[in-house]
Amino acid sequence: MVEIAEIAVSAAELKLGTEPVQGAGVRLSHAGPRSRYSLRARDAKVLAEVVGRTLPGKIGDQAEGVICLGPDEWYAILAEDTVLPRGEGLPVSVTDVSSRALGLVLEGPAALAVLSSGCPLDLANMGVGRATRTVFETVEIVVWREAEDRWHVEVWRSFATWLWNAFLAAMPGAHG
Amino acid sequence: MSGFRLADGGRIDRRTKRNFTFDGKAQWGYAGDSLASALLAQGQMLFGRSFKYHRPRGILGAGVEEPNALVTVDRGPGRITPNLRAPSVALHDGLTATSQNRFPTLKTDLIAVNNVFSAFFPAGFYNKTFMWPRAAWEKVYEPIIRRLAGLGDSPTTRDPDHYDATYAHCETLVVGAGPAGIAAALEAAAGGGRVILIDEQEEIGGGALSDPAQWPWLEEASAKLAAMDNVTVLPRTTAIGHYHQNFVVAAERLTDHLSVDEAEGAREKLWRIRAGEVVLAMGAIERPLVFEGNDVPGVMLASAAKTFALRYGVAVGRKLVVMAVHDSGWRDALALHKAGVNIAAIVDMRRDVASELIEGARAARIACYQGYAVTGVSGGQAVKGVTIALAGVGKGQKIDCDAVLMAGGWTPTVHLWSHAKGSLRWDEAWGAFVPDKTHEDLRCVGACGGAWDYGKGLSGGLLPAPKPLHDSKAFVDFQNDVKARDIGLAVQEGFRSIEHIKRYTTNGMATDQGKTSNLNGLQIASGVLHRPVTEIGLTTFRPPYTPQSFGAILGHHKEALFQPLRKSVIDDWAAAQGAVYENVAQWRRARYFPQGSEDMDAAVARECRTVRSAVGVFDASTLGKIEVVGPDAAEFLNRMYTNPWKSLEPGRCRYGLLLGEHGFIIDDGVSARLAPDRFHLTTTTGGAARVLNMMEDYLQTEWSDLDVWLTSTTEQWAVIAVQGPKARRVIEPLVEGIDLSPEAFPHMSVREGKICGVDTRLFRVSFTGELGFEVNVPAEHGRAVWEAIWAEGQKHGAVAYGTETMHVLRAEKGFIIVGQDTDGTVTPDDAGLGWAVGKKKPDFVGKRSLARPDIVAPGRKQLVGLLTDDPQAVLEEGAQIVADPNQPVPMTMIGHVTSSYHSATLGRSIAMALVAGGRDRMGETLHIPMPDRTISAKVVAPMFYDAEGSRLNG
Repeated sequence: MVEIAEIAVSAAELKLGTEPVQGAGVRLSHAGPRSRYSLRARDAKVLAEVVGRTLPGKIGDQAEGVICLGPDEWYAILAEDTVLPRGEGLPVSVTDVSSRALGLVLEGPAALAVLSSGCPLDLANMGVGRATRTVFETVEIVVWREAEDRWHVEVWRSFATWLWNAFLAAMPGAHG
Repeated sequence: MSGFRLADGGRIDRRTKRNFTFDGKAQWGYAGDSLASALLAQGQMLFGRSFKYHRPRGILGAGVEEPNALVTVDRGPGRITPNLRAPSVALHDGLTATSQNRFPTLKTDLIAVNNVFSAFFPAGFYNKTFMWPRAAWEKVYEPIIRRLAGLGDSPTTRDPDHYDATYAHCETLVVGAGPAGIAAALEAAAGGGRVILIDEQEEIGGGALSDPAQWPWLEEASAKLAAMDNVTVLPRTTAIGHYHQNFVVAAERLTDHLSVDEAEGAREKLWRIRAGEVVLAMGAIERPLVFEGNDVPGVMLASAAKTFALRYGVAVGRKLVVMAVHDSGWRDALALHKAGVNIAAIVDMRRDVASELIEGARAARIACYQGYAVTGVSGGQAVKGVTIALAGVGKGQKIDCDAVLMAGGWTPTVHLWSHAKGSLRWDEAWGAFVPDKTHEDLRCVGACGGAWDYGKGLSGGLLPAPKPLHDSKAFVDFQNDVKARDIGLAVQEGFRSIEHIKRYTTNGMATDQGKTSNLNGLQIASGVLHRPVTEIGLTTFRPPYTPQSFGAILGHHKEALFQPLRKSVIDDWAAAQGAVYENVAQWRRARYFPQGSEDMDAAVARECRTVRSAVGVFDASTLGKIEVVGPDAAEFLNRMYTNPWKSLEPGRCRYGLLLGEHGFIIDDGVSARLAPDRFHLTTTTGGAARVLNMMEDYLQTEWSDLDVWLTSTTEQWAVIAVQGPKARRVIEPLVEGIDLSPEAFPHMSVREGKICGVDTRLFRVSFTGELGFEVNVPAEHGRAVWEAIWAEGQKHGAVAYGTETMHVLRAEKGFIIVGQDTDGTVTPDDAGLGWAVGKKKPDFVGKRSLARPDIVAPGRKQLVGLLTDDPQAVLEEGAQIVADPNQPVPMTMIGHVTSSYHSATLGRSIAMALVAGGRDRMGETLHIPMPDRTISAKVVAPMFYDAEGSRLNG
């Protein structure tokens, strides 16, 4: 029987950083608190009226923080403490998921390469302002290209520690 | 009598010496050498021992097709890589390589006795011999075979290296950077799109690296590619496989070509490339010829000898004989002659050979034997000479030589084409399969597409011989030691398809996947069966193209990052309290909170007693949660769950039981109606994603007319369960806007309000049988609210309890845990949950299956309680149950224990079990045979504590 030594750092010991980390050409930080909503409706017009906002019509489009994720699905990343009406009784679903996810930000000229290390999309061809639900390796994320070299990444809270450290592993020169 | 370094030539840097060791012996070569070329230059001909017979073997090829020269490279502790092909190992200072599969040394191998008795080890030998006696398999045969089997040693320490990985996208991916691949890359790059050009060798150039005439062109083309910013050139990168929609996975070796001191950063990088168009320019691999003695060290492919001479400046011998059935052998012989390598003779099976080749050979004073075949090779660990005969059967004549070059024609490298499900057609001229049709945006250029001029030749690899096939030792698959006669034997034993012949003989099943043996095996089978090759079939190529390290495949998914470990927002608090954890799905959960020197039993007993006598606090945040919203929410749940939901009033909760179409329990949970069109569902921790997927599936495919939407809120809410007679007193001071009185807030209801100043969805539910609340707060407030509850709880003697205590408390009440007390074959009735099935409901998922004859048949396993006669005996979960312990083995097993604990509250053990006809056995004594004793237990109802439920009210 071969005895294999314990690993130096176990998954349980990984920490979610709190301070920004600077690598070569890329910086990782927290986006800070946001108000988040999952918005669903068969008829976008009804939903738009309920929430009082324009809903982007094409999957991958984003307007003022509201991202079209699917044919009947939008995800809103709004300023902290924004409250949307629920539209009770109407054929819509407005669900507050503000606490479900954390927002991480990758910025700098090497940010694209860090994100591409685990995200299968052709992010280089993703227009500024567009956003989409995708994965980083096995973890579901929503990616929003806020600027040419600035990417906002939404990840469910309990996966954030893994994602933070996976980003660090892919960031040249970063020792978080 | 062996290889040596030529005075000049090659792409090696003769000013830079590289020192290395092979089998512990100091050796040297030049920068630019491969391990194979450096050793050949030192006169080494013996590189390894064959897998089955431990026959001495030398180099066969100069590329990844090499089947014989497998070596282990040692780069320090944890960095030992077996089964590397010596021609593909770049030489660097300090390289430490050893040969494999020899015992004790390469030159003297005791297991080579297998070779002497090889007549007793034909194809299928193991299958036939080790069939019986059956009992001997585990103790005798398997350990012996295991010791003999396998190539190289498995690692025994952790791999200290790390591995990189990335996705990449391009308009054109070119696999293979020989002349055809480079031309394709240049052409594609001129269009402006992104181009990735990958090649497995140390430098790009492919076959051109072995042709000095092409070097100026190659240099120019390389510079052009390097200057284009839309082109990424990746040498030392192997395209492992082609997957759907032009997804190509490639492994780049970043540091293995460097000395240990120079190596920095990741060892390998996995490239996951999605390409608009894939151009395969993978070239072709020369085929060996099959004749007696073709595995003696020094017998190799003509193309290999050419590469060693022209690329590495190494002559593989002082006097070479070429055995050709193809023009390329003549061309290689002439190129070698020009490079200063002494070619004694060219033997060709063909009588008719192009006159310019013959003239060329004559001009070089090379003896030509047309219509002849090599019929034997003399020498054991190195070639001493060959015997040739007219048409292979005439009178033999000997030629002295120290190397034999085989030119058996070429096999296009169609591996990735085949991965992509591209079809192949048989090409008579090539004597090989070439690409035909594909449904991907994929094309082959150059030799792998059958578009390269190697000249003409015969296509059968087996040379005629004076001996009958069954007497010959002519090898087809060098790595797996498959001889031509083994294929004959397979056919004789009735195998007809190449898929069966392959598995019976193991031809092509070694780590080289038959790169040099598949076609010869096929042709021999075709000849023995007297049927055309196309009727024998073709074996399938599967990724990886060449063996790869697990590290490269894992990429970043190593050690701490292997997979996400999910923690609740209260996890850090639990850690500070010294919690012991257990993993549940991807989550880790506090299992118990030992104090002082307590073991698990002591801690759990204390936690249980305190919950029942005072109060306990439990982190239930990992429970799956789904918000079901829309006008049809109640209708939807009514269809999903077994029980009625439409009548549930807002503010009330209900236990929901979820079945699959098969009628078996797959999940459960308590859910609340918050508003007419809004429900807060809970699922099991492990079932959260599965249940959401299943519900989405029904919504999208079966009931797309319903106006209802599902949102996972598992991570939105932290959940703090406060359970015990003092639960109300603990939360009372913290809650605002909710009347907690039993009248206003009865069991199984939900209220929205505030706790500690933050929004809460407060449930009054109990999984312990005690008065209980579950406090849901937005996750970022979970820790603060937990601490406030904890502080308040201290005034009432509260404990924090973990999943183990939760399990005991619920078992005392007979509450099931899906996946522990159910196993996917348990119906609601089996589990004693028939009450949760709406008898009047027209339909729900699984309803029809509940009427199936075997579901309603008597004698099904039913959930019961067990009380051991010895109250201190705790049954083992999973233990089998019998009615009659005196039956001879094998006894009739009538069920098994699903949950079993020591109950501190009851001062005895309790257990739940699934037992055939269990509910009809109440009061019966059953038996649980264990290795050391048989435990008897009485069947009781699965309810051990407070059957009337009075404690729910505190």
